[in-house]
Amino acid sequence: MIETATSTPVVIGVRGLNVFYGEKQALKNISAEIHEKKVTTLIGPSGCGKSTFLRTLNRMNDRIEGIRIEGDIQIAGEDPYAKGADLLALRRRVGMVFQKPNPFPMTIYENVAMGPKMHYGLRGKQLDEVVEEALREAALWDEVKDDFRKKNGLNLSGGQQQRLCIARMLAVRPEIILMDEPCSALDPISTAKVEELIGQLSGAHTLLVVTHNLQQAERISDYTAFFMFGELVEHGHSKAIFTDPVHRSTQDYVSGRFG
Amino acid sequence: MEALIYASGGVVIVTILAVVYYLTHESKYAYERKFDYGYRVALQPVSGQYEKDLSLDPYATLVTANKEGLDGLDEKEETVPMPTLEELSGGATFGTGTPLSGDLAKVDPSKLYRDDWRAQKPANVGQRFLVFGFATPEYKSDKMAIAWAPDASFNSELAPFDLHLRLVRAPSSVTVQPIDIDLKRQPEGRMELPSYVATSDEARTEGYVFALEATPTSSTAAAVSGGIFRSEWDPTGSYPKFGFVPLLMGTFLITLLAILFASPFAIATAVYLSESAPSRVREWVKPVIELLASVPTVVLGYFGLMLVAPFLQNTLAKAVGMDSGRALLTTSLIMAVLLIPTITSVAEDALRAVPQSMRDGGEALGLTLKERLRKIVLPAAKGGLTAAILLGMARAIGETMIVWILGGGAPLLPTFHGVKDTVGNLMKPVTAAPDTVAREMGNVDFQGVHYGHLFLLGLTLFVLTLVINIVGYRLGRRNAWQS
Ligand SMILES: Nc1ncnc2c1ncn2[C@@H]1O[C@H](COP(=O)(O)OP(=O)(O)OP(=O)(O)O)[C@@H](O)[C@H]1O
Ligand SMILES: [Mg+2]
Repeated sequence: MIETATSTPVVIGVRGLNVFYGEKQALKNISAEIHEKKVTTLIGPSGCGKSTFLRTLNRMNDRIEGIRIEGDIQIAGEDPYAKGADLLALRRRVGMVFQKPNPFPMTIYENVAMGPKMHYGLRGKQLDEVVEEALREAALWDEVKDDFRKKNGLNLSGGQQQRLCIARMLAVRPEIILMDEPCSALDPISTAKVEELIGQLSGAHTLLVVTHNLQQAERISDYTAFFMFGELVEHGHSKAIFTDPVHRSTQDYVSGRFG
Repeated sequence: MEALIYASGGVVIVTILAVVYYLTHESKYAYERKFDYGYRVALQPVSGQYEKDLSLDPYATLVTANKEGLDGLDEKEETVPMPTLEELSGGATFGTGTPLSGDLAKVDPSKLYRDDWRAQKPANVGQRFLVFGFATPEYKSDKMAIAWAPDASFNSELAPFDLHLRLVRAPSSVTVQPIDIDLKRQPEGRMELPSYVATSDEARTEGYVFALEATPTSSTAAAVSGGIFRSEWDPTGSYPKFGFVPLLMGTFLITLLAILFASPFAIATAVYLSESAPSRVREWVKPVIELLASVPTVVLGYFGLMLVAPFLQNTLAKAVGMDSGRALLTTSLIMAVLLIPTITSVAEDALRAVPQSMRDGGEALGLTLKERLRKIVLPAAKGGLTAAILLGMARAIGETMIVWILGGGAPLLPTFHGVKDTVGNLMKPVTAAPDTVAREMGNVDFQGVHYGHLFLLGLTLFVLTLVINIVGYRLGRRNAWQS
């Protein structure tokens, strides 16, 4: 929407997106362009369709009954909903982290190794290296290096579990990272760690982060998109959104008067 | 509302406690067991014609009872006094005796009664039988012998007590070595004795006195409870055996096979319902499956008997041999039908309890439905799935009607001599613990030993299913992701 001289190429393009859950329309005529290697936060009141938007991007809604999706989505030049779309390639390209940490019921090592094993056929030493690297990137390595081959991922604390999920996602080396309220279940210290991580990743990755924490959005993001009632109300540089929004409802929301 | 919850909880707990108390209380009759033994002891003429089988001996020794020791006698025999020499002359001949509880000094010769020569006494009272031995004057030129043999139905080797034949007193006119025969080592035999001739009726009791003595040993006590570990269940024989092994074996085999038959179907159905069935299908299939769980088992049993048993018998009879459609295979198959709804329903709940977020994580990583299942959902639901199978097991262990109708009622101890023999076990009739309790409870002596053992069997089943249920419940609750 708002182009500036410093803007990077568009990596995700959405045009005229409508999403229905049965009769209920959750997203209404969304069009947006997401810039490469930048952090974009999605904000808006509960139920406005942020999660739906995120999940629609990488086709995480196949299991939902009665969902209907209209419009055009391009991720790195590919339509995830096209006939014969390479889902596996999409998953390689797009990683996702969820609100509730969701480690698998297996060891920390196996959690992280699952992706690279499946996508790149890595084994043995190479796999070990990738796992260690991912754990380091997710700032979890120091805490688990002694027992990460034995310890079940479910036996970590909530904050550690979320970093494990980030490591698991990073181990696949995605270009685009979708995070749906990654810190909402975490304490302030873990939240700070994840925020720092987002900062480090932004140089090399495109990040879309849903958050309810407006300070956090302002801190971590380059761009912000404000959703309300299924519509994308305003999308632009975070600075502009938070200091000088165009729309009245955005103004109300970011100033805490609403939502 | 709250009061209602407390009240029903109270009723449940009180019921369980009452059941345990009642089962335990009535089980004690199993321990009031007296071991009978059947032995024949006879004084015989050495030269006379006698049969080795003492029961056929025309000169069989008359064993008589003193009034004090009537326990072993039939009513009729109590009224028949010990024959006098006159009565004995010209026919039956040697010896005579008496079973009694007391000692020799208490024997009143005028109150000796005729008995069968069989001594059948409870062994654990330590009672002994006395056998008085003498020859009638006609046989004064002959030598005499004492012979002994067990009743046909009595196996002294199995008897959990010691059994001895001892010479208590020899007549004053002869000198003999002490005699003490361990009947467990030497169950059958014959020994010559210096002759003693009773010349008067009084002298009948002044000759040889042998004692047949059963003494309890440590294994008697062990056998009272340890008897349930035997491999024979024969509660109505003259020496009843209360081994639980064949009954619990039947329960084990039926449960094992039924679980093996039912689990794959049940788990596959549960996976389909929880992972890929459209909600329309699930909303419809699940109640139908649960409805199947409420079909009375007597209906299932007769369905099996009328349709499945003849079918199996017709198709399998030629291939492997099957005498009757009532067999282990039929029972287990119908039992599996009973278990499928239970296991499916609990397994489906367990799978649905796995958080969607885990599936999301797998999907975001690129795992297909099958991979998600194998690597994430099934391992995560492991506890609940095990619980489902355990609950199925508990159901199968307690099931009575199906086994009663389809089992054929004969204990089965499987044999494993090669493939054909092993498979053949499936075609044999089987009986299990619950159907045995149900079948036999109507015909037992109230608060007798058999009765006690049926209660003990019931208690065993109750404890078994209770433990399995508790383990299943705990496993089902302890989900990996909730730790
Ligand atoms: N699987 C579903 N089936 C039916 N309706 C759904 C489903 N998922 C979401 N919705 C509805 O779609 C709308 C948007 O939901 P969504 O989860 O995208 O909101 P959100 O912005 O992420 O909210 P929150 O901030 O609470 O996470 C809501 O009204 C919600 O009730
Ligand atoms: Mg959401």
